[in-house]
Amino acid sequence: MSKQFQFKGASDMPMIPISLGDMDWNKTGAWRAQRPFYEDKTPPCNAACPAGNDIVAFIQKIMQEDFEGAWQVIKEENPFPGVCGRVCFHPCESKCNRGNYDAPIAIHALERFVSDFVANLNQKIGKSSGPKKGKVAIIGSGPAGMSCAYHLAKLEYEVTVFESTSSTGGILRMGIPSYRLPKKVLDREISNIEALGVVIRTGVSLGQHLTYDDLKDYRAIFIATGAHRSRSLHIPGEKSKRVLSGLDLLKKINLERKLKLGDKVAIIGGGNTAIDVARSVIRLGKKVTLLYRRSREEMPAFKDEIEEALEEGVKIRYLVNPIRIGQKDGLKRLECLRMELGEKDESGRRKPVPISHSNFFVEADHVIIAAGEEVDVSFLPKGMENKEGIVLTQRDGSTGIKGVFAGGDLTSMQRTVAHAIGSGKKAALAMDCYLQGKNMEETIRRILIGEGPSLSILRYLHPEARPMNSHVVTFEELNMDYFEPSERIRESKAPLKKRVREFGEVTSTLTETMAHEEAERCFSCGTCNECENCYVFCPDASILKTENVFSHQVDYDFCKGCGICFSECPRGAISLKEEER
Amino acid sequence: MKRVITGNQAVAYGVILSRVDVISAYPITPQTTIVEELSELIANGRLNTRFLKVESEHSAMAALIGAATGGVRCFTATSSHGLAYMHEMLHWASGARLPIVLVNVNRAIGPPWNIWSDQSDSLSQRDTGWIQLYCENNQEVLDTILQAYRVAESVKLPVMVVLDAYVLSHTSEPVEIPTMEEVDAFLPAYCPDYPIDIQEPMAFSVITTPEYFLEFRYKIQKAMEEVPEVAKKVNDEFRSRFGRGYAAIERYGEGEAEVLLVTSGTVTSTSRTVVQKLKGNGTKIGGMKIKRFRPFPFEEIYEEIRGVRKLAVIDRNLSAGVGGIFAQELKASLYSREERPEIFSFISGLGGRDITPNLIEEAIQYTVEHPRPEEEILWLGLKK
Repeated sequence: MSKQFQFKGASDMPMIPISLGDMDWNKTGAWRAQRPFYEDKTPPCNAACPAGNDIVAFIQKIMQEDFEGAWQVIKEENPFPGVCGRVCFHPCESKCNRGNYDAPIAIHALERFVSDFVANLNQKIGKSSGPKKGKVAIIGSGPAGMSCAYHLAKLEYEVTVFESTSSTGGILRMGIPSYRLPKKVLDREISNIEALGVVIRTGVSLGQHLTYDDLKDYRAIFIATGAHRSRSLHIPGEKSKRVLSGLDLLKKINLERKLKLGDKVAIIGGGNTAIDVARSVIRLGKKVTLLYRRSREEMPAFKDEIEEALEEGVKIRYLVNPIRIGQKDGLKRLECLRMELGEKDESGRRKPVPISHSNFFVEADHVIIAAGEEVDVSFLPKGMENKEGIVLTQRDGSTGIKGVFAGGDLTSMQRTVAHAIGSGKKAALAMDCYLQGKNMEETIRRILIGEGPSLSILRYLHPEARPMNSHVVTFEELNMDYFEPSERIRESKAPLKKRVREFGEVTSTLTETMAHEEAERCFSCGTCNECENCYVFCPDASILKTENVFSHQVDYDFCKGCGICFSECPRGAISLKEEER
Repeated sequence: MKRVITGNQAVAYGVILSRVDVISAYPITPQTTIVEELSELIANGRLNTRFLKVESEHSAMAALIGAATGGVRCFTATSSHGLAYMHEMLHWASGARLPIVLVNVNRAIGPPWNIWSDQSDSLSQRDTGWIQLYCENNQEVLDTILQAYRVAESVKLPVMVVLDAYVLSHTSEPVEIPTMEEVDAFLPAYCPDYPIDIQEPMAFSVITTPEYFLEFRYKIQKAMEEVPEVAKKVNDEFRSRFGRGYAAIERYGEGEAEVLLVTSGTVTSTSRTVVQKLKGNGTKIGGMKIKRFRPFPFEEIYEEIRGVRKLAVIDRNLSAGVGGIFAQELKASLYSREERPEIFSFISGLGGRDITPNLIEEAIQYTVEHPRPEEEILWLGLKK
């Protein structure tokens, strides 16, 4: 304490009671009953990303106009931002808290922007130079296999990928039409992975050219051969001429671009493959009718895709189920039943029920069946169990055979690119744990994003990284006083007339200005973006700026625990807990 | 330059000319147009003043206390419930000796809900340690603000400038607006006694034990006692520069009056015409305007009531259970005097009812006709 004055009386007293010393000695923090602290929490987008992208972090980089930095963030977890930015069904956006306010952030468009921005800089991922930890083999060069290869290469393994077809990319190349995913984008991202030293051997098919014995030099194997067999409808005439499977047709169009088709094409199915087929066939100048047994509500294809298909002239007949494929006057003649919707089934959708005596006929030159895909288990080694059409694995991707892991469409019914990328990453981690003798279960718990199932490889490689509470930030936890409504960015689309004539990309990449504007809409849920509200509002001047893990810290010597920083933080990046006594 | 402006615009001109650094206010009728005018000027970049938006009058005053402690010139305006809401902070401002100027547009306090003129709001704050100055017209409003900063910064006490709702606040009159140069010459920049310097931290208004608290209050009383002399000097200088002035007490009408009509605020203007009209009608009638309510102008009053037999005090306020507040103050101030005129305490015009010339005449007539009041409170225009 400082010196105290004694006054004789009013005449030698100052006008007001003042202390000429400072008050630093008075550690008012001792009065605190609750303690604020900086703690990042999981943004809902991050938690929803099957590939485990740190979405808020890369958007923050875009906000700072550090587009290369954004790419550095994304590629930590995912080597396919150009692919995902175009074809992912973006569950991140449906969970985006901004959706409760005006419209979600166009995360997919931002991811695509970052990938394309960096591609224009000719950025390559550098080859790792460290000593190799051993040889690993990957079967299948689709998104799961390549994601696994990428992460294993970064973990310093010598990776060989075996691909049965003549080209890389699996379903990304064969199954996704180029108006959604241009081949050059895929080539660019695969070559980035190869640049890390990954060797891809195409035209080598497991079972045919390669046996499991041939792979015994490899310390671990990841099998991600996908689901390529079109599901049968089990109706008469299905195996006749001019009846094709959806995936086969896409392969032909994507790989050869040449195909002889009659003028009228009927497509059976309501999933993404059916829509991809329909939109591809429209681009070949044909008339397309899609037959789907439930209503539009229940269609499993992505909403935007259905919308675009309709725009482009695809006709969709709902509540129609083919029961026989016949032939009449050189045309395929589909006998169909009209359906009505009954009770909900196990998928949660209303089940189609045939209306008796409602038979009618649809005629077409070609019939394409796109009723889903199955896995081919014929080449799988003994000891790998499968059930209900998928290969069974443990949570970490391990199979019944030691050192053999599996992932992607082969092991899951959630058959999306993002899920495949996530499963490849998980397998890479599991293989590293297995080969380095680490406990994978424990590791998974530590690096889970939110409640999972996605994993953060950044946290695996950098346990010292800024921690993130697994709690997923809700809309109610944000402070809307600090946001104003703003419109979601719209990607521009090619004119319809142009779209239906060629396989060029439908939507275009955002400009730098557009991306920056869209990124600025991000609430940055649970993640401090140094907005400084806490610093401005703290009545005790107890927020200190630091250069440590966090940009700010609370000065507990003087913080009285009023909680203003906590309630004025727009994004829930400050927590408050009762002081322990 | 002469312009026809409302009382609230006159306030705004006073604030602009005083080069106020910080304004913080919360809207309330009938004050709102004052800060509307000022905030627009600030928003348009025409006034280099910081405007702090706040969520209440309590915060408005609290914000100014912070700003004034920081050593800058501050202003706020309010009315009625808003002033009541500031109450705690009014004490703080005077206790911390901060020369803040506040304009209060007199408005009744509800319920019953009422937005018209009545002095109950400002007079309820009479014990908060603020200097209180009541204005009669829009010119006086503008000039009083300029003088208020001089007085406040000299004695280190806050000043409340008071004007009547609507009769002044929303009524236009010709007002002479001085130039910036003229005001700059009259009102120098504010120099705080204890400027904040982060290199030399100090704590302000820290806890004070019983050992010294009494002495700090004594100092505030002493500062109040300096006001009459300081205010007179400031007013004299103002008069020499601008040709106008406003004493704490102003006598008008006949010099050797037997009956003196005592008023404050705009009632005075009406009273002037009544007193003029009654001139030469037998009893000598005079008028007395009280401008400064705090500190109460004892000496000036003693000077002005020599030879007066009766005071007819019209109060546009009511301290329920006692009566008119101006009348009470006058009674208390005269108790120790040998020469004590009879005091007739009239209550009128509450909640904005007009105090008409007829009512004033009625009050004078009653006072002339009665040797002493028949009742403690005489209600003017009451519908029984």
